[in-house]
Amino acid sequence: MEVGRLPISAALKGKLVSAGYTSLSLLSSLSPSHLARDLNISENEALDILKHAPHDGQVDTSSVHHIINGAQTAWDMLHEEELLTRITTSSVDIDNILGGGISCRDVTEIGGVPGIGKTQLGIQLAVNVQLPIHCGGLGGKAIYIDTEGSFMVERVLQIAEACSNDMSATNTVSQDVHAGKVGMQPRDFLENILYFRVCSYTEQIALINYLDKFISEHRDVKIVIIDSITFHFRQDFDMALRTRLLGGMALKLMKLAKKFCLAVVLLNQVTTKYAEGSFQLTLALGDSWSHACTNRIILYWNGNERYAYIDKSPSLRSASAPYAVTAKGIRNSVSNCKRIKLM
Amino acid sequence: MKPENLLVRPRPTQKCTTGCPVLDRCLGGGIPCRSVTEIVAESGCGKTQLCLQLLLSAQLPPSHGGLSASSLYLHSEFPFPSRRLHQLSRARPFDPRHDHDPLEYIFVHPLHSADHLLDAMPKMESFVENFKSQFPIRLIVIDSIAALFRSEFDNNPLDLKRRSSMFFKISGKLKLLAEKFDLAVVVTNQVVDLVAPNEGINGLRIGNLGCLDSSGRRVCAALGLAWANCVNSRLFLSRDKEIVSTVNGARDECGCELMHCRTRRKLHLLFAPHIPDTSCEFVITREGISGVCI
Repeated sequence: MEVGRLPISAALKGKLVSAGYTSLSLLSSLSPSHLARDLNISENEALDILKHAPHDGQVDTSSVHHIINGAQTAWDMLHEEELLTRITTSSVDIDNILGGGISCRDVTEIGGVPGIGKTQLGIQLAVNVQLPIHCGGLGGKAIYIDTEGSFMVERVLQIAEACSNDMSATNTVSQDVHAGKVGMQPRDFLENILYFRVCSYTEQIALINYLDKFISEHRDVKIVIIDSITFHFRQDFDMALRTRLLGGMALKLMKLAKKFCLAVVLLNQVTTKYAEGSFQLTLALGDSWSHACTNRIILYWNGNERYAYIDKSPSLRSASAPYAVTAKGIRNSVSNCKRIKLM
Repeated sequence: MKPENLLVRPRPTQKCTTGCPVLDRCLGGGIPCRSVTEIVAESGCGKTQLCLQLLLSAQLPPSHGGLSASSLYLHSEFPFPSRRLHQLSRARPFDPRHDHDPLEYIFVHPLHSADHLLDAMPKMESFVENFKSQFPIRLIVIDSIAALFRSEFDNNPLDLKRRSSMFFKISGKLKLLAEKFDLAVVVTNQVVDLVAPNEGINGLRIGNLGCLDSSGRRVCAALGLAWANCVNSRLFLSRDKEIVSTVNGARDECGCELMHCRTRRKLHLLFAPHIPDTSCEFVITREGISGVCI
């Protein structure tokens, strides 16, 4: 019962309930004198009760259907979701199965075997988030948290160069729209990636706690990439402690994603799990962790081709799509065409 | 230390030359600093040769692709190949800046077990930190990591779990050292035979090559999936016998045709965050290991 949560005396609560005020929303548009009459209490006491009840007077006039402060109706949420932009992965096929790309306000986990292209995808997203909205980005900055030491500037520069070339190519096509606008230089892309190098799990936890403050000072950050969430948590950990730490971290990341409307991308490793007499491949960090992320994408080899598979998502159906890691970054797979051998 | 301090400007990665321009080109300039590079190969493919050569080329000045640095060589396979190292060092062109023998800038430490390696880590750190010289330590080679783990651990879930948590501990410390002192870390690893190809975990593909073949056998890197997560880049060296020509019609006493064989050695890049899938042939000579342009 919601009334039970009000910080008022038990006697007053009893009076409220017996008078029929069982839900806080019933109190929202009452005047103190009305309430005092109904409950047969003094106006001061009534005022006290209403002080704790949500003040929805002003909200009512703005015609948003708030019931409790901070709550939203599903209708509003749908509208908001339709406005949300997504960050392209630069592979049209992956974008298609993801409904346009990596979504904001969500925590997305991407896992796969070593060498499948997790870091490449991470770097690609850190670059793509900076693209203007019509190019599939959000025009924002990226936070890249490197726990494994696989972030190589020369590779980022390569991907940024390809991205900037692609952008100027599209700009010339639709020149009338973007006339006079200078395309982004590869250097700019690098400037907008805020890179944190984390060498232990304590640093990782401290950094994630600090992100809230950091992002409130850097509001233009639109994606947080952690490559990888796993590495420091696979060393000799007490499993119960690990589950607690990771759970706390996941909650904070989710909160960040919602609060600042940004995308959180966690890269994860794979491990083998012993089940029903055989070893199976699964993402690391255990079963409880699998609840921590809203979306889960698994990258895997299928023959000589790389594939991305949506393993978990509240809004997308399971699907897989091929992709390729090229000199330019993540791109569509070219399996049907002649494969260009990189040398 | 505050979380704010973890925000760093990404720096370009310095590379340590392998001592051969062809191999360097294949590896995008050499072995990267602040990163763990693994060399996987069966015995006799040239892992140790490449390591020894790296120890020497790290001493070259940056203008020659080196790091102007001393190096630390931890070996778990005995004995230490000091004669070969000496031979390689004499084959190098004389560097006038060196008033000392290049071998004086190579520090060797034996390893007996995985625990021994973990115990040695803090010592290594203080050694690297306190080593004041015009050639600071910028290269750590562990030859080999596999030998430390292949005897002590049983094939049961408990031991495997203990083993993989040790991998991550070791790798975490190595990466910390690499980051803190801007040094390159090279580890070597052995291979295991694939008995049942493409079945279950053993057929799991890691990296650019669908299957690894060496000496006509299908192999995969030792220490499994967990360790593969601990390294940043992985190289694979293979060798195969190739028939060059038959000695015209000559037969030995058993009636078999006499053939000239030669060993073809290849370096493959299995995965790396900064370079695409490449491969390159190489030879091992008296002067060392060098790539072959085809």
